[in-house]
Amino acid sequence: MSREEEFVKKLEERFGRRVRDPRIQRARRIFVEIDGKDLREVLTYVKNELGFDHISAITGLDVGEDIELIYHVAYENSIELSIKTKVSKKDPRIDTVADIYDPAGIYEREVHDLLGVVFEGNPDLSPLLLPDDWPSGVYPLRKDKSFEELRELVEKSGVSGK
Amino acid sequence: MVKIVVGPQHPALKEPERFLLETEGEYVKNVRVRIGYIHRGIEKAMENRTYIQNLYLAERICGICSDAHTTCYVQAVEELLGVEPPPRAKFIRVITAELERIHSHMLWLGVAAHEIGFDTLFMYVWRDREIVMDLLELISGNRVNYAMNTIGGVRRDLNSEHVDKILKGLNVLEARTKEYIKMIEKEPSVLKRTVDVGILSKADAIKYGAVGPTARASGVKRDVRADDPYAAYDETPFNVITSDGCDCFARIIVRAEEILESINITREALKKLPDGEIKIRVKPRIPPAEALSRVEAPRGELMHYARSNGTDKPERYKVRTPTLANIPALCKMLVGGYIADVPIVLAGIDPCFACMDRVLIVDHEKKKSEVWDLEKLRRYGREWYSKR
Repeated sequence: MSREEEFVKKLEERFGRRVRDPRIQRARRIFVEIDGKDLREVLTYVKNELGFDHISAITGLDVGEDIELIYHVAYENSIELSIKTKVSKKDPRIDTVADIYDPAGIYEREVHDLLGVVFEGNPDLSPLLLPDDWPSGVYPLRKDKSFEELRELVEKSGVSGK
Repeated sequence: MVKIVVGPQHPALKEPERFLLETEGEYVKNVRVRIGYIHRGIEKAMENRTYIQNLYLAERICGICSDAHTTCYVQAVEELLGVEPPPRAKFIRVITAELERIHSHMLWLGVAAHEIGFDTLFMYVWRDREIVMDLLELISGNRVNYAMNTIGGVRRDLNSEHVDKILKGLNVLEARTKEYIKMIEKEPSVLKRTVDVGILSKADAIKYGAVGPTARASGVKRDVRADDPYAAYDETPFNVITSDGCDCFARIIVRAEEILESINITREALKKLPDGEIKIRVKPRIPPAEALSRVEAPRGELMHYARSNGTDKPERYKVRTPTLANIPALCKMLVGGYIADVPIVLAGIDPCFACMDRVLIVDHEKKKSEVWDLEKLRRYGREWYSKR
């Protein structure tokens, strides 16, 4: 059994059907899906019990009704486990994991800026990438705003990038 | 308590940051960070362009490690397509990547020397860096933005003349780099400004997610080339350089020794360079899939995530650069250190230039604020040290 298969087996033993669609895409790449309410429990487990001690990034995607979040965590800088979950676009909220993985704090700020997801418990969700005077409620990486609209917005509203 | 704002940096340099330093006397007590001053919206732009057009965007994410970004990009797209580039292309990717690492590390070594006021070393290193710049121009036609990679392989082949010239250039670079290491290890002006400065313990390097030479200088033996091999790195074995110094000096030595290691990898790749095609043809439309691609950029782990939707444009493209990953660790290094050490500690993670263009000093006692430029902060650092 490969290390990847072992990790999937352990996740299934521990969380049963709460871990959905585990997929080993290729060597060193695992993808799984979970519910947002299980996020902290799963991440705590993979960090403390399985040794995934590094968070590479948090990816956010606009998938229509929902925002999909992918937490990419790494085992010995080798195996990347991507844990996917969804939050409703109407009320995009999820618990912070910055107390589990320190660097997650800054990655949550990035997703908060660009997709408007609120990470409850994150002490600092101030703008990281967008200008201080960026209009509220405009999230550049959501699909309802085209690249052209965003450019117009920047030019018209006098968003100065300061 | 005095608050000092460092940055934002010059927009001509990439990844400018602003650091708000809360200070007490000469000590930094707390750091708050703000980036995004040249946020260009590349991830959004990539959703609007075809996979081929995005090659050009990926090339321009970074001006120093453009090859790392295109390598990461083409690997992600190749995984979406389910294709493998020919073996010769994989070796040419390794050669270009290592030449790029040599140029990037030498550029950094010069910048680090400048930050501590050792401009002689800066001049020497940058003079010698021209050797590798010429080699990159020789094989790619460009000094920067080499455009070597394409989906399914590389765009340019190497001939025997290229190989000879690269080997000759590497010999000179190797001799020069060994000379620098000897010089740095003995030079009191380097030792005084970098030993025990900007401490990041091994445990903290892991905790705060440090990557690349920054992590390796804290004794964390991690390198994507070795741990998650891509291109032809599984066929060009090398030593992962680490140091237990955990300070700015260790970061200098690790990068200098990595230049030597890159020279060895390039030689090995040239020796084993297989014959054959350099690229395969691929379809413009990509069925729904996802891929996570990683590369060891000169500054550390670079990660791209791609999702396709059946069209010729990606549904989502995500980029996480090594400098962003190193920022939490950088904040940790700054806290507890001297204001005078801020330039070299900032430069220590190699945030592409660590150029603090504008420094705002807020003196709460006198209720006045004053803008310092980088030169003033640097001078402050040098004068402060000369009085000690």
